[in-house]
Amino acid sequence: MDAEDRQLLRAFTRGEESAFTALVIKYRESVYRVARRMLGNHEDAADVAQEVFIRAHRALPRFDGRSQLYTWLYRITVNLCLDLRGRSSRLPLLDDEDGARDRSGIPAAEDEAEGREAGRLVARAVAQLPPRQRAMTVLRLYQDLPYQEIARIMGCSEGTVKATMFAALRKLRRVLVEEGVRAP
Amino acid sequence: MTDRCVEVLERLVEGVTGTVPPDERAAVAGHLASCARCRDEAASLEAVAARLHAGARFVAPPGFWEEFMRRLADRIEEERAPAGARLRRWLASPRHALGTAVVTAVTVLAVFAAVRTIPPPSDPVVIRARGLVTATMTSSLPSLGEMLDVWRAGLVHETDSVVDRGAR
Repeated sequence: MDAEDRQLLRAFTRGEESAFTALVIKYRESVYRVARRMLGNHEDAADVAQEVFIRAHRALPRFDGRSQLYTWLYRITVNLCLDLRGRSSRLPLLDDEDGARDRSGIPAAEDEAEGREAGRLVARAVAQLPPRQRAMTVLRLYQDLPYQEIARIMGCSEGTVKATMFAALRKLRRVLVEEGVRAP
Repeated sequence: MTDRCVEVLERLVEGVTGTVPPDERAAVAGHLASCARCRDEAASLEAVAARLHAGARFVAPPGFWEEFMRRLADRIEEERAPAGARLRRWLASPRHALGTAVVTAVTVLAVFAAVRTIPPPSDPVVIRARGLVTATMTSSLPSLGEMLDVWRAGLVHETDSVVDRGAR
């Protein structure tokens, strides 16, 4: 666990509520993005993010600090998303990425329109993956988590994560080719 | 496809997502240089990974985080409230209050129905116990005579009520 998190955790267990607020501010956007990629819509992602921090607030005094705090938060997030998706029979509602901005800054108007369309198709392709494959893809490709951390979050071996990712990439390639999305 | 191809394809996923250590990367690259099939596979998977990686990053709508923090603080405060206060708040909601009223009414009716269907004892213990209090017992325990009279009076009272219920 990184030094800042350890310090905040210690302060929180001493009763400083502001330390918890600092942790929420630090991790809320990552948690929200994982949930939004997993669930495909803002409302469910917002509810899950809220629930993640409620559970974290309850369980944080018992957190042993053996893993990174974000690993622990992502595990709660992924489990809640899988649970919600399991309970709900409907397919994920797909974002049109209107609320999204490109990582590389503000693109030109044509590129922006094309990028938005491609982004929508990519989001749709990711949404077609089975839930666990989707979770691993989101954690690896969008959150840049190492395989070891993903394995810990998903409760499986690193080998399983790699094999699942391989299958996910091949499926995504097929879907994107069908949709006519070219490489960036 | 050779065994080496299978091995390389397994490492490929790490390669295209950028996590292969440099020494292994060199070994994978060596194989790719000599194997067109693996090269094609690597290129197309890398393109997919890049497409996903370059995807837009979701940003929450304006004002969302302020509302999020307010709601979170409210919920945490709610969790901290004593059980009595939480119950009062719960009951203050019309839907919860109606639900509680229905459940209470059904429970009371169920208990009432169950009590009415239990038959009175046909051979109560008190009737049999009265026959055990004999004159011999009374004479051998003179100091307990008064207490025994009280006990006997109680038995008579209970037996009468049992007989009354039976007659009804």
